[in-house]
Amino acid sequence: MSRIKGFCCNYTLSVEPEALKGEGLIPEDVDLERIPCTGRLEVPELLDAFTQGASAVFVVGCQIDKCHNLSGSRRASKRVAQVKKILEELDMDPGLVEMFFAGRGETEPVVEAARIMASRAGAGSRPE
Amino acid sequence: MKAGSNLENVLRSGAFAVTGELGPPKSGDLELVRKKAKILKGHVDAVNITDCQTAIVRMSSLTAGLIALAEGLEPVMQMTCRDRNRIGMQADILGASALGIKNLLCLTGDHQKFGNHPQAKGVFDMDSIQLLQMVKKMRDDKRFQCGEEIKGSEPNLFLGCAANPFADPFEFRPVRLAKKVEAGADFVQTQIIYNVDKFARFMEMVRDLGVHEKCFILAGVTPPKSLGMARYMKKFVPGLDVTDEVLARLSDSSDQREEGINICVDIIRQVQDIPGVAGVHIMAIEWEEAVPEIVKRAGLDQRPEPKGVEPVLASLDSIEKAVEDARKEVRIEFEEELERAKTEAQASRELVIKEKEKVASEMSDLKKQIEEARTMASQKEAEVQRLTEEIERTRKELEKRQAISTSDLEAPVNAPVAPPAPPVPQGPGPALTDREQRVLESLNLGLQALKEVLGLDDSQFEALKRFLEAEFMLQLAQVAPPVPGRGAPPPPPKVEVPAQEVSTPVEEVVRATPEEQEIEQRPAVRDKEVVNLVAKGNLALHSGDYNGAIDAFEKALSIDAGDEKAKNGLAEAKAALEKELSGVKGPSVKAEPVETSQTLPPCPEDVDEQWWKEKWVIRYTARGNVALMKGDYDTAIAEFKKALSIDPQNEKAKDGLNRAENRQGIYIPSIEAGPRPVEKAKEEKAPVTEEPGPEPQEKEKEKVSTPEPEPEASKAKEEPEKPAPKAEKPRIEISAPAEEGVSDLSVPVLSKEEPSLPERAGDIPEEVYLEACSGVIQSVTLGDGDKAISVGGETALPFYNFEGQMPNPPRVAFEVLDTEPEEWPEVLTKYFSDCLNDPPAWAKKCVDEYNAKCICLSLISTDPNGADASPAEAAEVAQKVVEAVDVPIIFWGCGNAEKDTETLREITGRIGERKVCLGPLTDANYRTLGATAMAFQYPVVASTPIDVNLAKQLNILLENLGVHLDQILMDPSIGAVGYGLEYTYSVMERIRLAALTQQDDKLSCPFICNLGREVWKAKETRLPSDGMLGDQERRGVLMEAITASTLLLAGGELMVMRHPKSVALTEALVEGLL
Amino acid sequence: MIIAERKTLKELLEMVQGCNRIMILGCRGCVAVCSAGGDKEVSILASALRLGLSRQGKEIEIQERTLVRQCDPEYIDPLNEEASDFDAVLSMACGVGVNFIADRCEDINVLPALNTTFYGANLSSGEWKEMCAGCGACVLHLTGGLCPVARCAKSLSNGPCGGSQGGRCEINPDVPCIWQQIYDKLSRLNRSDEMKNIMPIRDWTQAGHGGPRRRIREDLLP
Repeated sequence: MSRIKGFCCNYTLSVEPEALKGEGLIPEDVDLERIPCTGRLEVPELLDAFTQGASAVFVVGCQIDKCHNLSGSRRASKRVAQVKKILEELDMDPGLVEMFFAGRGETEPVVEAARIMASRAGAGSRPE
Repeated sequence: MKAGSNLENVLRSGAFAVTGELGPPKSGDLELVRKKAKILKGHVDAVNITDCQTAIVRMSSLTAGLIALAEGLEPVMQMTCRDRNRIGMQADILGASALGIKNLLCLTGDHQKFGNHPQAKGVFDMDSIQLLQMVKKMRDDKRFQCGEEIKGSEPNLFLGCAANPFADPFEFRPVRLAKKVEAGADFVQTQIIYNVDKFARFMEMVRDLGVHEKCFILAGVTPPKSLGMARYMKKFVPGLDVTDEVLARLSDSSDQREEGINICVDIIRQVQDIPGVAGVHIMAIEWEEAVPEIVKRAGLDQRPEPKGVEPVLASLDSIEKAVEDARKEVRIEFEEELERAKTEAQASRELVIKEKEKVASEMSDLKKQIEEARTMASQKEAEVQRLTEEIERTRKELEKRQAISTSDLEAPVNAPVAPPAPPVPQGPGPALTDREQRVLESLNLGLQALKEVLGLDDSQFEALKRFLEAEFMLQLAQVAPPVPGRGAPPPPPKVEVPAQEVSTPVEEVVRATPEEQEIEQRPAVRDKEVVNLVAKGNLALHSGDYNGAIDAFEKALSIDAGDEKAKNGLAEAKAALEKELSGVKGPSVKAEPVETSQTLPPCPEDVDEQWWKEKWVIRYTARGNVALMKGDYDTAIAEFKKALSIDPQNEKAKDGLNRAENRQGIYIPSIEAGPRPVEKAKEEKAPVTEEPGPEPQEKEKEKVSTPEPEPEASKAKEEPEKPAPKAEKPRIEISAPAEEGVSDLSVPVLSKEEPSLPERAGDIPEEVYLEACSGVIQSVTLGDGDKAISVGGETALPFYNFEGQMPNPPRVAFEVLDTEPEEWPEVLTKYFSDCLNDPPAWAKKCVDEYNAKCICLSLISTDPNGADASPAEAAEVAQKVVEAVDVPIIFWGCGNAEKDTETLREITGRIGERKVCLGPLTDANYRTLGATAMAFQYPVVASTPIDVNLAKQLNILLENLGVHLDQILMDPSIGAVGYGLEYTYSVMERIRLAALTQQDDKLSCPFICNLGREVWKAKETRLPSDGMLGDQERRGVLMEAITASTLLLAGGELMVMRHPKSVALTEALVEGLL
Repeated sequence: MIIAERKTLKELLEMVQGCNRIMILGCRGCVAVCSAGGDKEVSILASALRLGLSRQGKEIEIQERTLVRQCDPEYIDPLNEEASDFDAVLSMACGVGVNFIADRCEDINVLPALNTTFYGANLSSGEWKEMCAGCGACVLHLTGGLCPVARCAKSLSNGPCGGSQGGRCEINPDVPCIWQQIYDKLSRLNRSDEMKNIMPIRDWTQAGHGGPRRRIREDLLP
């Protein structure tokens, strides 16, 4: 399993994640998953990603006030915050989970987020 | 009055009250509370003791309040509802009340959130108003909160509450205050006021509600310590309205503290003017020092005297204080005592100085007198010289005149025994009259004293004495008419007198002739001449020079034809001559009648034969003695044999003979015959052959016999194996009146303790049971000669012979009264019934019959409250007693210091050299009597009333005066058994222990215990015999003996007692114990 | 409503230490409403614990379940069967639920996942406020319906303390002074005079100080 788990909504990422990898835009160990709406992401899913081996987890949603589903990315960001708290409770770096916002079809922010998180995971990776 | 607290008193009195605030420490530091309390005390009427203010744990308000109370500062105990439920609070209220806390300020309390234990569970069982209700109910209804009755003391507390005029809702604040007052608040202290306007509005509303009439309102003020503090209060203390004006004043000030105080004072002044404000509550938080200044500046420093501020429990501090006070008191007392003692010491020092000056002046007077006497004497001497020269001159004239026939004149010069030269100036001179005798004695006494005073050595003294005696005799010879007669034989010639004029014998004879014509005109001179001639005649007669005697007597008769003595002498001489001439071998002219078998000259017809014999015995004995003194033993033996041939029983002659035969030293029966160098020198020149004078008079006898014991005494000393007590032993049968009580005065010998202590101690080492004493008791000697007794000298406790020495056994003195006793019981008087009104006889009986070793003459007749006999009368009795007995005598005055001084002085003036003891000396008369005793070297009795220190004091005073400790007997004052004996015992024991074990030498004098009078004064000795108390006499005897034995064990050395039986018992005890 | 909140994960991880199989048991009662112990919270807690455990290198089987209420026997009693092979039941109900399971399921090791905090109202989403102390002796009729026992820091009975300033409680400026509110309320109701009355000392026996409280209604008893 990849070291880094990313979630992004359909509207944010218009290309296949593998294509980005192929182009070398995002690191190999980033597992980017397209989901219909980040608002559908629940806290347990994010937590489970960690449980399943991710060193870092990130979510890229619509711009907070321009969500395709109106409040999807807002909810996602609240849940990410909740996860951050839980990570803190578990003595984990809350920075290992992050919410990013991207405009419709903009690839750069997703690539940027993946790099940031890869670097956080690399730098902040903790031994198991 | 609800609680009677000081605060309540002040408020009710209408005075403007001032309360302060004291924050207990965040520790158990007692001193901090005390320190703060001390700062506030006197400046506030009461002080609030906060109860963990701002919910910070501190010393409890109850405890700190009690500490303040102990400091004399009335606490207002604060109580919050935060930390205790109703159970805890009521319990503390009861306790606070019990321990004297009288003010309680009821608060809800700051929330625990503000404190150092925000996690604490806030109790808040009730709020402040409910707390007030509860305490009021406890106080006024005597009921606990639950309704149960308080059985016993209810908490009487003056209840207070807080009010914050600056909290919200503002309009509700007066209402809330009213609620508190209704609930029970008696006074209220407001939150810190800076906004006086707002407070004034608050007060207005309060007044509208009439609350100010139902409780006392104290305005709360706080001096801002700094601008920072003011800002902090404004910002962070809820319900505190710090005005901008205050902040400005502080920030503009260069001295914020000073300004803070000023602000506070200003606010006090302002609130004082607001109606309904009854006082001010100054909260100088952690700045208690500011309070006095604030109070002062606000003009409130005259606080009413605190009432009812008393700690119930003695605080450690108050105990300390009490101890300190007590110490101070004691110190002050001690210092006063010291001061007094110093003053006294100073006074007595001054007195001593005065006394010394007095003595010095007296002494200088005496010296002057002596000087005068000397001058007079030298004048006399000059006169004598002149006379001698005249005589010489006359003699030469005579020689010239009788140039042809000078044959007889030379002889008498070489041989004094030659007929014409009886060398006794006053010859068989006149007997001294009593008065003269006394004068002579007094003179001797005076001289003796003078010697002591002037510190003359023996030779000087002797010279002076002889000189004066000569003078005396000279004067006497001029004054006294010759009184011849057998009834009163003339005294022996004084040895010294002829010594003065060695060459006179011849001159006297010669002188007579040329002066005959003058004699007619000078009766005195004529008398003297007659006397001289008669004396010469007698001398010649006794020497066997009958012709010379006849010659002298005839000459005397030629001057005074009526002189009886001369006539008798002439007859005697003639008779003797006749006898000699009529064939009987008379004494040779050369006065060597040793070979003569007939030693006794024929008795003149008109002379009693017995008297004649005695005369000659004495004469021969005297001659023998003279020879003995010269070392001419053969002559002495001859003379003594002659004496013995007349009277073989004569002791003196026997003794003399014995001495002469043993070639023993000089035996001169005369005081002057002591082995003094100067004396000897004179003696050699003196014509001692004149010694055998006429038979001595009675008084002379006494005088002569007095020194006799001396050699005997020294002999006794040489024989150590002859202790005095043994001599007392043969007291077995003393005839006593056969009575039921004490039929036999004898006492069986007490069996000795056998085996001795060391034997009984066995293996126990001595140091375990022996406790050697470091001190020595003084040895005091009473009386003189071989009858002298010494007491004291111990080096151990009484009869502790295993620890030290008791060289002198304790003694008993018989008490003799100088007048017939009035109140003595018959069981006592019967032993002296024949002599009760005759003190000398009484004393003599004591000595002769009851073997008294010492007599104590009680001079009770002199008591001013009694017979008030004059000193002279008493002295006369005393003198007779002295003459009657030879044992030591104690003269015991009546106890009246002044009278005793007079009496005892009078007595000392009469009795002369007998070494008596004087007493009692008290602090009132020790100076005069001490000086007197000192002059005569008499021991004294120092009498003090049962007290160690007084006894010591008197000894010191006496010693300062110059009386040596070995001249002092201590009378500690005696109580008879049943009459304070134990007290006496205890004091004596302490004195003795001090002397022996504490080197207190001022207490080292022996004790005299005048116990007889105490015992026989007791009721029990006077009650008649009856079934319960038993025989009266035995009772009295035992009381006296038991008292004496107890006092002996306490250390008593000399017991003055009355009953012969008890004396016997006591002496037996002493002997047994030694 | 009973307001509760989840205990920290650390506490809970500590609690389940040594367990191999646990059931996280939610309640759809109050705690679900206050988002403390409903289905959602059960799921989150399960994931969080799993993550926590995995980070400790441990693995525990966690079953998630939620009951309608944990304060009625009919929902609780089946647990005796269902939870019998679990090492622990981590109840996400209020304290009542935990106690009830403990009472009724003798063999079950029940653990509390929540802290039960107060009786409160949901002011808005995510905000609850204490309104009642359950003191058993209501004085709300005297205080305009506002409870000084629950809502005054010192449970005062007779008006605001000296710390009341600007309508705020002295302990925290965010806390309103309930006595100010009572005063205001009563004033609005023209009942402010009632505040002059002294409220007597309270009887705290019904507030639990008299022992565990119990209520019985005879008419409803089976």
